[in-house]
Amino acid sequence: MSTRTTSRLSKWVLGSPLIVFALIFVVYPVYQGIQTGFYSLSLQNPDTLFTGLENFGTVLTDPGFLAAAKFTLLFALAVTAIETVLGFGLALLVNREFPGKKVFFTMLLVPIMVAPALLGVMFRLLLNGDIGLVPEVLRGVGLDVSLFAPNTVVPLLVLLDVLQWTPFAFLIMYAGLQSFPSDVLEAAQVDGAGRLRTLRSIVVPMMKPIIFAALFLRLIDAIRTFDVVYVLTAGGPGTKTTTMSIYIYKTAFESGQFGLAAAASTIVMVVLIPFVPLFVKRIATPGAAE
Amino acid sequence: MTKRRLWGTTVAVGLIAILVNVPWFNTLFVSFKSDGDISRGATAAGTPTTDHYANALGAAGYDFPRFFLNSAMIALGAVLLVLLIAIPSTYSAIRLGFGGRFVMNASSGLRLLPAIFFAVPYFLLMSNLRMLDTVPGLILANTFLNLPLAIILLSAGFRDVPIEVEEAAKVDGANTYRILYSVLMPILAPSLVAVAVLVFIFSWNDYLFALVLSSSNATPITLGAANFVTSTGIRWGDISATAVLSTLPPVIFAVFAQRYLVSGLSAGAVKG
Repeated sequence: MSTRTTSRLSKWVLGSPLIVFALIFVVYPVYQGIQTGFYSLSLQNPDTLFTGLENFGTVLTDPGFLAAAKFTLLFALAVTAIETVLGFGLALLVNREFPGKKVFFTMLLVPIMVAPALLGVMFRLLLNGDIGLVPEVLRGVGLDVSLFAPNTVVPLLVLLDVLQWTPFAFLIMYAGLQSFPSDVLEAAQVDGAGRLRTLRSIVVPMMKPIIFAALFLRLIDAIRTFDVVYVLTAGGPGTKTTTMSIYIYKTAFESGQFGLAAAASTIVMVVLIPFVPLFVKRIATPGAAE
Repeated sequence: MTKRRLWGTTVAVGLIAILVNVPWFNTLFVSFKSDGDISRGATAAGTPTTDHYANALGAAGYDFPRFFLNSAMIALGAVLLVLLIAIPSTYSAIRLGFGGRFVMNASSGLRLLPAIFFAVPYFLLMSNLRMLDTVPGLILANTFLNLPLAIILLSAGFRDVPIEVEEAAKVDGANTYRILYSVLMPILAPSLVAVAVLVFIFSWNDYLFALVLSSSNATPITLGAANFVTSTGIRWGDISATAVLSTLPPVIFAVFAQRYLVSGLSAGAVKG
């Protein structure tokens, strides 16, 4: 066999595990997920009936779906904005040598590594009305508030998300600052630019792709928020903190309405897919970050 | 002057580092308190006890040891399967033209879609394959969840290796497979470690697919611990010890593989 044929063959031999896996575990589930939306499939009623666009109509006129979509979007925008700003500030702060840097840098990584579901468990302990540290401290300063009440629960969840994911935004932007050519900064200093001026005219413009990456990643991850919120509030009180993911999960696995849940999933996917090429073009192309 | 400013940075960063870890430190503190001390309030503290750790590890007859074992098998299985699929196919895509840009674009696309979209299809698929509530079922699901990131990271790794390295090996008579396994994999060891560590952590931490695909036999620790807390009569000391033990594997990995992890996470964000 000539080298050429071997190489043409090996291309497919080496690629075959991915083809097999993708057909069974990506293509088929996507197909089935979209298809299920067109049927009245539920746990109670195993007879599947083709219902066309009925599920999609039901979902789009369901106040619960619209409320979940609105909450998810507002929650995601809020946490993304806060985390990107705080993360950038923290990255600037850590981007120099100071005593104890190694230890604190490692500590900043820990929240990213803790399972969101387990963090939810830890928050339940921390915020527990009887034995939790936070209510005890609040009582100490004369504040007797119920943290999970309807008017405090949303700011509370935003705060908790900020605590866990600001470190991630920080990490992305810190890595970006680290690859920053130091001679540019030195040149600016020689030219007599102050710290603020350097930041505004040089660092921020050059960091734009990285800041955009951090923003985008936090946004898409915040849109899929499930674990912490589900463990903490299960979407309540009422449906006040029901995210898109919790709505779909409950529709499918608590109400047993797979058809409706699949339709809702498809709608979310159709809304999100246009953003994919944007990401691929602006960030995920080699050289774009350099 | 300079020195004082640097100590200011230490204090500021230190406070933030402690603040973001308050939930973890608080849980660690509670895990060593006796049940009596726990009920007396958050700041009450008497003689430390390790009873809760003994309970979490099996003394109280909970299922936690089995949940730990399930998590370990699921995470290690997913690491192995992800590497077995991602290494050859990514090499083929980057160097041999397999799938062209499609493999990369599809991976980036999948990385961006919410996992919940796949919850219903995966439930139906695993139900058809008779793999609901099995460890292999969850290994396959976590392989799917982590494959896109692995392909994105490895493609960056393969691109960074100069083509001359491969050409030199070819001149020496090595075929494609030999080049991949004897020449490229040792060079790419840091990328492979990054991928392995990230896949391990993300699989260990998965909750959504565990919730959907497992009910009792294959329950991993994330689901086991969260279920325990939502049931009546919470034993906070035992649950705290369990939570501390469950976060240790990812956190230990994060500390020891920090260098790979940082480069992996940031490369995953900005390269493709």
